[in-house]
Amino acid sequence: MQKRRDVLKLAAGTAAASFLPKKLYAQTGTKKLSILTWNIIDMEPLFKQWFATFQSQNPGVEIEWLDKKGPELPAFYQTQLAAGTPPDIVDIQGGLGLEWAGQGALLDLTPMLDKEPAVRARFNPEYLANWVFEGKNYLIPFYVSKSLLFYNKPLFKAAGIDYAPKSLDDILSYAKAVSGADRTGFLTLNFDWLYWPLFRMQGVDLLTPDLKKPTFNTPAGIETADKLAKATADGSINKISWTGRWVEPNGAFAAGNVGMMHAHSSAYFFVKTQGSWITPETIGIAEVPGYWSTPNSHGYAISKGARNPELAWAFLKFATEKSQAMDFARGRTLTTANAEVDKDFLAELDKNDPTAAAVLRTQIEHTDKLTGNWRLSDDSAVKNIVWAEMQNIFLGRRDAKTALADAEKKVERELRRA
Amino acid sequence: MNTAPSQRAGAAGSADAVAPPVRAADWYRRKRTREAMLVACFLLPSLMIFFLYRILPLGWNVILSFEYWSPLKAARFAGLDNYAEMFLEDDVFWQALTNTLIFILASPIAILLALAVALAVNSDLKGAAIYRTIIFLSYPLMSVAVGIVWRWLYDERGGFINFVLRGTGLIKEPIPFLQSFGWALPSVILADIWQVVGFYMIILLTGLQSIPQHLYEAARIDGAPASARFLRITLPMLRPSLFICAVIGILNSFTAFDLVYVMTGGGPAHATELLVTHIYNMGFGETRFDYAAALTVVQFTLLVILTFLANRAVGGNAGSVESA
Repeated sequence: MQKRRDVLKLAAGTAAASFLPKKLYAQTGTKKLSILTWNIIDMEPLFKQWFATFQSQNPGVEIEWLDKKGPELPAFYQTQLAAGTPPDIVDIQGGLGLEWAGQGALLDLTPMLDKEPAVRARFNPEYLANWVFEGKNYLIPFYVSKSLLFYNKPLFKAAGIDYAPKSLDDILSYAKAVSGADRTGFLTLNFDWLYWPLFRMQGVDLLTPDLKKPTFNTPAGIETADKLAKATADGSINKISWTGRWVEPNGAFAAGNVGMMHAHSSAYFFVKTQGSWITPETIGIAEVPGYWSTPNSHGYAISKGARNPELAWAFLKFATEKSQAMDFARGRTLTTANAEVDKDFLAELDKNDPTAAAVLRTQIEHTDKLTGNWRLSDDSAVKNIVWAEMQNIFLGRRDAKTALADAEKKVERELRRA
Repeated sequence: MNTAPSQRAGAAGSADAVAPPVRAADWYRRKRTREAMLVACFLLPSLMIFFLYRILPLGWNVILSFEYWSPLKAARFAGLDNYAEMFLEDDVFWQALTNTLIFILASPIAILLALAVALAVNSDLKGAAIYRTIIFLSYPLMSVAVGIVWRWLYDERGGFINFVLRGTGLIKEPIPFLQSFGWALPSVILADIWQVVGFYMIILLTGLQSIPQHLYEAARIDGAPASARFLRITLPMLRPSLFICAVIGILNSFTAFDLVYVMTGGGPAHATELLVTHIYNMGFGETRFDYAAALTVVQFTLLVILTFLANRAVGGNAGSVESA
């Protein structure tokens, strides 16, 4: 009898608690913080350690952490937005952050950064500025990367080449020299505008500085596209450059029969595990001509619908502090855009893995030459339009002049629509 | 006090000459009502789920297609703007629609292939059961895995298909199957056929085995040749199975998202874009749920029309249940 009464009491208590207003919950001292990260489930032990430390500094905080794989996160976050239950903190890659900021999904972090200049001062200003949309800063760097050039020294040597390319013409002539039989000379990753430095080094930009009009349909733009198409047709450039995403191009370079690969720093760690030919002596690392590169970084954002924005900001400050950022850099061998951390970590890495250090050093140099990071709220739409026409050119379906003219019209229409 | 139905009916019967038939009809009707209510009770949970997860979203989707909407902005009436953009400005839509129709048109190839295989494994062929199992094995595989396997098979540099074709001297230069505008869509369709042909085979095999043997015996006695037996008995009797295969083929063409996504991502330059991948890109790639809703409405309408036509093509009563 007593047992039945206890069960009834418990049920009644639970039911009553579920009807408690949110304010009353707050009075109990429990605050929830939800965090959504992107493809870093391997860092679970470190994250759990961070959460424990943060919770000890902020008693009564409950942290709910969810990690989603590459293609899943955008769809998941958008469904959460539609449902009105976005996570408080979200880790976003590339230009998506600005798109979501443009749609009003993210909290403007500028007032917080202005209020705490020491936090702003942690970061490389160019990386921080990547996520400025209409004068407001919506994300802060979590971990950063940008594109660079890897080359296969033995293939270069066999082709009689002994220095890194200094221009697009160098890239293409080297590629031709290396290619033959089952070898190709050059590969590039293409997603998220990663191919754009090939145009930028020729003086071709996508849009005017005010982002109102396209500027790529110029003689230089047509000439560049034409050169890349011809090099693809004669086998100097591997066709996977224009169709593959991540595994195929990296896999092809790791196989050892591609002369050069234009990719961001994380590609090095992928190909190193796959290519037995890769040693400090055989892999060359260089900036692309003109030092242009496309960033492909991850940033932390706070959802506008966050239940506890102050708490979320406190967590971001905590997670980007030197100690935490350093642990993360070590755990994943990457740069964080926390200037002090990157400097110390690279000094440490120089001793343990000089090649990795050389790769990562490129990530914090020439950050004034970032391209492919236009602050557009409809970046995906513009990207899809341009990319489809670029594929038409590079794979020989359309001539550069006609395709770029069409792309220009479509981009103009998209910019008007947005 | 409640009166029993029979008593009430009896009371009415004393005043009316046609009372007994009415009484019987009443009783019958009530029994039918009770049965109907029981059936409804059993169906209700499924119908509610169907309504909540199918009909309601479909209705909302139709409404959304006439609005400007994003997750964080209030909806505004857009009239036919989304449809106008789709039909007048969106080249990718037309490309995706064409590709989807080509995908659908490839279904008969898979069905014919499956029919040939089904006929073969239904005969006295030695080891038919083993062949049947082997052919069916491709179907339960995850489409993502199938896509990855075929992507490597098609690889220009190290792919098995190019290796064999070059090794046998059929081609000199490797074919960039998934990088070529001409080859990409047929290559994806071939992978799709490979996966689904085993399933069609099982459906057709079931149909073949349900054809009464005495029909064939009678035809043989009458001296009908094999071709006539096939055309006059097998094919007509297989119509319901062929209809099921056709509908599955249509549905499969509209939902072959994972295979396309893994193998080509809809590229190069939308050469393998299907309506379903375009809808996904618009919704989750460009956060244009309103426009994606309009695309979905068009896709749904097309699906209904094609299913209706397929049903008509097999006599208009496919799927009906014959009562004893």
